[in-house]
Amino acid sequence: MSRGFNQLLDAVVRIDVREVAFEGGTKRYTASLGSGVILTADGLILTNAHVVSPRAIEVNITLANLERVGAKLVGWDHWTDLAVLRVDMDEVRRRGWKLVHAEFGDSDKLFPGQEVFAVGTPHGLTRTVTRGIVSNKNRYFEDSRGVNGYETGAFNTWLQTDAAINPGNSGGPLVTSDGKVVGISSRGYMGANNLGFAIPSSTANSVMTRLARDGAISRSYIGIVPGALQDLENFYSLEVSSGGVLVQSVDPGSPAARAGLRGGDILLQIDGVKVDGRFPEQLPPIQNLIASRPVGSTLKLSSKRGAEVRTYDVVTEKLESRVGEELALERWGLSVRKVSRTYARENQLDDDVGAVVIGVQPGFPAAVAGVSRGDIITKVNRQPIESLDSVKTAHAAYEAMPAPTLLETQRSRRVSLFILQP
Amino acid sequence: MIAVLTRRTLFILAFALLFGRAPAADLPGLWAERLKSVVAVEYVTETEVDRRPTATMGTVIDAHGTIIIPAGAIDPRAATWQLKDFKVYLPGEATSTPGDYIGQDAFTGWHFVRADAATRARLTPITTYAAPAESKAVALADFLWGISLRGKDEDFTPYILQSNVAFIQSLPQRTAITQQEVAAPGLPVFNREGQFVGLALSSFGQTFLQLSRGARSAAIMLINVEESSAVLLAQEILPYLGRVPKNVSGRPLAWLGAFGLEPMDRDVAKFLNLSAQSGAVVSEVLEGSPAEKAGVRPRDIILGIDGKPLPQLKPDSVVVRYIESEIDRRVPGDPLRLTVLRGAERMELQAVLGEEPKLIREAERKYFDRLGLTAREFVYGDAIERRVKAAEPSGAIVHHVKPSSPVAIAGLRLDDWIREIDGAEIKTYADAVAKLSEIERDEARPEFVILVSRGGETAVLRVKLR
Repeated sequence: MSRGFNQLLDAVVRIDVREVAFEGGTKRYTASLGSGVILTADGLILTNAHVVSPRAIEVNITLANLERVGAKLVGWDHWTDLAVLRVDMDEVRRRGWKLVHAEFGDSDKLFPGQEVFAVGTPHGLTRTVTRGIVSNKNRYFEDSRGVNGYETGAFNTWLQTDAAINPGNSGGPLVTSDGKVVGISSRGYMGANNLGFAIPSSTANSVMTRLARDGAISRSYIGIVPGALQDLENFYSLEVSSGGVLVQSVDPGSPAARAGLRGGDILLQIDGVKVDGRFPEQLPPIQNLIASRPVGSTLKLSSKRGAEVRTYDVVTEKLESRVGEELALERWGLSVRKVSRTYARENQLDDDVGAVVIGVQPGFPAAVAGVSRGDIITKVNRQPIESLDSVKTAHAAYEAMPAPTLLETQRSRRVSLFILQP
Repeated sequence: MIAVLTRRTLFILAFALLFGRAPAADLPGLWAERLKSVVAVEYVTETEVDRRPTATMGTVIDAHGTIIIPAGAIDPRAATWQLKDFKVYLPGEATSTPGDYIGQDAFTGWHFVRADAATRARLTPITTYAAPAESKAVALADFLWGISLRGKDEDFTPYILQSNVAFIQSLPQRTAITQQEVAAPGLPVFNREGQFVGLALSSFGQTFLQLSRGARSAAIMLINVEESSAVLLAQEILPYLGRVPKNVSGRPLAWLGAFGLEPMDRDVAKFLNLSAQSGAVVSEVLEGSPAEKAGVRPRDIILGIDGKPLPQLKPDSVVVRYIESEIDRRVPGDPLRLTVLRGAERMELQAVLGEEPKLIREAERKYFDRLGLTAREFVYGDAIERRVKAAEPSGAIVHHVKPSSPVAIAGLRLDDWIREIDGAEIKTYADAVAKLSEIERDEARPEFVILVSRGGETAVLRVKLR
């Protein structure tokens, strides 16, 4: 193989992760593994968001020389399924190792049929190279729970390859024969043959830069769910050249809803830029156009309803995941997740007060009282739960001096009261 | 050893039962006589695409040939005009006579059917066998027997079931649970003397362990739908036999509008310093309802009705049924005084019950066969479910989707809320019907576009017609 390829092999690492999960009413620790690739001389590693998440408590890297070294999470972005780690450089220097790093190639220049290689740790088999071709360079799929329950895929398309990608390959590079990283292998269809997907380097490169700098990516949200027009142009009397994207739905209470947009409208322009969403593959760039604007900026949306074209001023909000912060309240045997604004909208709740029960430990006070998974705790001892801090405080007070505690919960709009008995 | 012992004990027990508690000698005679109080009722539910026959059993309550059948015997979602061809069969007879459906009573839940004149003469009302007022109440271990009927293919042949009372419970109505099944749901149960003691309810579930070779055993719940061991006692039945609906809709229906009543358990009651009584949390107060007018607020805890504290019943959830029956036994216009706890404050609220808004089963609907859907009028309950103002005009709901029809292929689903058709906003049910009728008639039309709302989201569906 080429020199570049050999260098790439030296830059691929195995990642072993121990993370905490707030399941079943307690804290649990789980171990998993994945792959990654060193991309800078100062030890930045790119991997998948579903390999290393903010829940990780211990990350160990196995370098090409088979030595192990610690690493820390630098930035995380579930929307593109990417995470950036930094190798413990002190340790590397102390032990006198030399880090080899790989380089990005240009995923836009790939062509279907081009030979590519996936390198990683499938099923724990360290340093495995598989070979295939680019099957499709513009695959669209959005998954509302794709990254450990977090949303993904709205803002990028994916490379599809027939190079074998198995669990454990995640986070490893997809490379051309000269060893240039053109994608980050992230998922495959289980049970199918050779249908693997990678995040293209065009996306990965810019996300990595921003994650290394800021630790997270802030995106703008207005609350429209775009849909491909497909062959509805005639129905909406649109010229193919004029573009347009269908507003499939508008999130209740979102900036777009407040501005007056609604499902069935045709979005023609954003700030004077034509949008063309005839096909699903064209949706991520449109989503990105909105997301890439600074939070709080005003977008001018030109939209068509019937024969009428109108302009709406929409002020963007910060994009939030449906999945809120999680916590285990171990004395009560409860694990909870904060109700996020997105979760509240999706479930038509009045506001984002409360915490959703994601686990109950049998035999503990919450389970004995009858609290079950899916209940939303809205008040503890008559105090509304605005943030998880208030639950934490109530739980700490209980820990210090156990006393009957009144919980108010909501489930499918039904309000119940429970007593946690010491 | 243990197995042998157990078997021997069982044998002794059976022996004791057989010889210790011999039933009255004239039981077959009493049984034959009381068969005249039971019938099988068959009817058809007509839907967009099929006719579903249902057979159920009923008890004769008066000299006019009025029959009551259990609440669960008729699908509550079916409109009354969908219920057709009521037939009455006498036990063991292959031929039927026509019956009339009279309606459902909200308080008891019973459906009422009337037999024709010729059949009436052959029936005996169950009240004939009512026990005299001074007679002893049904008690623990009492011997009871009842009637059940075989299926239609066996001409509804009657048979006898016998058991003893295992315990008596308020649910909130007084209900006897027998050791084994004692009658078919909806059919009467008698004591040794042949006095009417109650009607069998639908059966409770029983847990069984399912064992299969090589697999782990699994607990499953089985419900016997043919025979029941739960008996609603006569004192909960006889006073209400006069509640024959005045019209087929079962109206008037009393309405409070306190939505999502959730029982309060004993620990909560104790925490709130409420001893020996129960309560129910009001989850929401419905828009424009009598509860709203009376000043009830969400999260109020109902503690009493008309000055009477809510009793502590088992299980806790029975208190909800208790409140509902207190409402259902009244009529619109009746006062209802509620004692509620709001925060730490106890207050008395005076409500005047209203008339229940139009129910889904009463909503107008129209079926479009070529398109493959039934559009139904948007009613109050739809507004509540979708969290919109009930006062606003609101269009139509998809009530039925014909499988593999054009709308089914386009992705239309049951309960979708129709907002726009071909870009035109649908404000009323009439709008929807007019638009859909026009499309249904136009055979040359290749497609139409429908915007629906489901679960707070909307979807644009393109329906290909040719």
